[in-house]
Amino acid sequence: MTAIIIQLLIGGVLLGGLYALVAFGLSLIYGVARVLNFAHGTLLAIAGIAASVMFAAWSLNPALIALILFPIFFAFGWLMYVTLLEPLKHRNPTQMTVGTVLVTVGLLLILSDLAALFAGPTAKNIRLEMEVFQFSGIIMSTTELYILLGIVVLTAALHLILTRTWFGKAVRSVTQDSVGARLCGVRAGAIHAATVAFGSGIAAVAGVLYTLNYPINPYEGFSLTVKAFTVIILGGIGSLPGALLAGIFLGVAEALCGFFWTSDWAPGLSIMLLLAILVVFPQGMLSRRGT
Amino acid sequence: MTAAQRLPAYLIIAVVIVVAALVPVFGGAYLTTFLFTLLYAYIIAQSWDWLHGEAGYVNLGHYIYFGVGAYAFALANVNGIPVVVSFVVAALFTGLMGAILSFPLFRLRGDYFAFATLALLPLFELLASNLVAITRGSDGILLPPATAMIHGIDVKMYAYYVALAGSIAVFMLSIWMSRTSFGYALKAIRNDEQAAEVAGIRIFPIKLQAMAYGAMAAAVAGGAYIWSFRYIEPRTVFGLDVALIPVAMALLGGSGLLWGPLIGAILLSVSIQLLIVNLTMLQFTIIGLAILLIGRYMPGGLLRARWVQRVPLLAPLGHEHHERIAATAAAVMPDASGVLPLERIAADRSRVLLATRDLTMAFGGNVAVNQVNLEVREGEILGLIGPNGSGKTTLFNCLSKVYEPVGGDLIFAGQSLRGLRRDTVSRLGIGRTYQIPRPFGDLTVLENVAMPLMFRAQDRLARPQALAEAAHFAAFAGLSDKLTERADRLTLQQRKAVEFARALACRPRLLLVDEVASGLTAAEVLRFVGHIREVRDIYGITVIWVEHIISALTQVADRLVVLEQGSIVADGAPEEVVRNEHVLSIYFGGAAHKEPV
Repeated sequence: MTAIIIQLLIGGVLLGGLYALVAFGLSLIYGVARVLNFAHGTLLAIAGIAASVMFAAWSLNPALIALILFPIFFAFGWLMYVTLLEPLKHRNPTQMTVGTVLVTVGLLLILSDLAALFAGPTAKNIRLEMEVFQFSGIIMSTTELYILLGIVVLTAALHLILTRTWFGKAVRSVTQDSVGARLCGVRAGAIHAATVAFGSGIAAVAGVLYTLNYPINPYEGFSLTVKAFTVIILGGIGSLPGALLAGIFLGVAEALCGFFWTSDWAPGLSIMLLLAILVVFPQGMLSRRGT
Repeated sequence: MTAAQRLPAYLIIAVVIVVAALVPVFGGAYLTTFLFTLLYAYIIAQSWDWLHGEAGYVNLGHYIYFGVGAYAFALANVNGIPVVVSFVVAALFTGLMGAILSFPLFRLRGDYFAFATLALLPLFELLASNLVAITRGSDGILLPPATAMIHGIDVKMYAYYVALAGSIAVFMLSIWMSRTSFGYALKAIRNDEQAAEVAGIRIFPIKLQAMAYGAMAAAVAGGAYIWSFRYIEPRTVFGLDVALIPVAMALLGGSGLLWGPLIGAILLSVSIQLLIVNLTMLQFTIIGLAILLIGRYMPGGLLRARWVQRVPLLAPLGHEHHERIAATAAAVMPDASGVLPLERIAADRSRVLLATRDLTMAFGGNVAVNQVNLEVREGEILGLIGPNGSGKTTLFNCLSKVYEPVGGDLIFAGQSLRGLRRDTVSRLGIGRTYQIPRPFGDLTVLENVAMPLMFRAQDRLARPQALAEAAHFAAFAGLSDKLTERADRLTLQQRKAVEFARALACRPRLLLVDEVASGLTAAEVLRFVGHIREVRDIYGITVIWVEHIISALTQVADRLVVLEQGSIVADGAPEEVVRNEHVLSIYFGGAAHKEPV
């Protein structure tokens, strides 16, 4: 029994770490550019599908695939922000919200439809034949270790970029006070675009990591976005450790729900958690962080 | 507009309805089905817009009510319940669900509200798929073929008429909303929820009602849908792709306009129909592209677009309905006298109207108001001064219950204000203005001032009377020539005047005035001082006035209270307080009074 629980925990932590990666990008983009990107999870799904197709065709090393996809998605994110989202900033808040939603949901539908057209609607993943080892009843594959390593490296890299680099300081200043940052000479517009681009790039890398273990189809992206949003609300916007903890919490909760009850309801856990948080914390847990 | 001028419009509407009613008889199956989908989409789009266009809430999950209504109708129908009863059951059940969902959802605003409501779609798809015992899961529900005909006529025909009647009903309801205090409350909420509460509106039941009415309308559309198409499964009623089309329709035409959702529904239905008929694939791409382009290029909708506004016949469709009503009201109104329609009361100076007992307000570790004990007598004009950050506005925010104090008590007219809501306090008789004015920006001056008149404690007025009476308050505040101007197009001083008039319209016994005079010329300050005196002398209203212009206060105040760092440091007659050494050192620095070292 203990072995099963530990096995479940490992699976949950792995999945939760990936949720956290999706949430990082979403939270970064929302915190800086004030854009709720509903297509964010779909970007991850597309990246995952592209990675599986590339792997199937050329047997490239997944790390290399991530390196190739990052700049492509970075460019896509930049373009998306500049052409579609930035012009909405001049509207009043309600019009901006509804405009952003329609643009990003429209994009989500287009992207998943096109991906299904070119790569097929079925779920795909990267099938690495790696050795599996076993100790006292717990099974773990080398792939899973690599994913774990990938999550840790990416989180650490993000943390360092946000705290140690010029870009990170600019990003954090714009998050806290956009006007104030502008007055200090930070080009907020360019930072917004760069953040959306950067967040999309992270989604691509997370997509590659995701497909190493879990198959993904073009339509699954939105449920990932919902999970990422729950993670942000749980962990606090703009907080990397918070998102990581909340992501792992959600991943483990889903794993336990799947085992002890039924996996049918596991996908709804995040949404119910979201609504439950809203009832318990009337202001939303975000407001404490001074959004 | 007179009834005769409106006649052509009525005729056109009547002809359209008659033609629409004849379509199933003469139009053929294809056209009937197409018009049917258009009509039920219009019902969803318009009922969505009650919350968005009127109240400013982006409810992206509105489509779930369509789905729930469809499921409720289907289950009732399968169990042999008569059709009419099925519709009623579907509408009531869904309306109740909308009301229940309001409790968690309206704790959120803006983007968070939008996201949480969008997340309802996958949740309900999951519920419909997993609650197999009720919904038959992903197999879906097929209505029994035996009930497909009534008196030898296909039920599609009847469903069409239900959708037509539903469309007419939501259209009429939208007109009703723009004319009633309910609709005005929604518009106040859209502009500024806190200001709406301070004006005496209890906002939550209003939002809940808008949600529940919308849910019921969408449920009727859902019932008609399944009655006609006879098969339902989770994806077709809770899918993300279908769910946002009605939203896109309302925005395409013009959200918040009477004709917006209808015109948007017609245009988008026709264009999607034309495109999809000729396509075997990429249908979602087309729908996605339509949604994306509307979001990107249509903030106000077609009817508000400049080139549409140049077409004489179409231009009136882009005008806000309520603005036209207010303009008409102003045109027919007799000249406002500037005499306030308030009871003339002689204040009883011996009675304490407001008392605070150790009132304390803190934000984290920052104590903004520190154990303040203040008594204000009826009919008194109290000047409240103190340096920036001394807690004057925080004290006002405690009195009007914008903040719930962390300690102490507030007694107003013998009643504790602890735990009371802002709107209750407003209706008890505390009116206020804001230092940075917060009028309802997209409403006219008249509508702004009329708002409290429609929601005060006793003898609430209906809209026409409220607008007429509001003119007197506006005239008193010097806004006679701005009655039909939108509040966000006024100057700062005029907006302050709107707030002053709106606060008076709350019929206050205690008026809290926050820096109304700053920025006025000397002559204007003098006139405002006269207003304050008149309000007290004639109508018996007690006033607490926060102001930095001490010369203005000393002209009219009976007493000055000085706050410093959240505590009262001086309290007395104006001539004493302005000579108080401590007060002088606060205002002019302590150096002049210090002993040389």
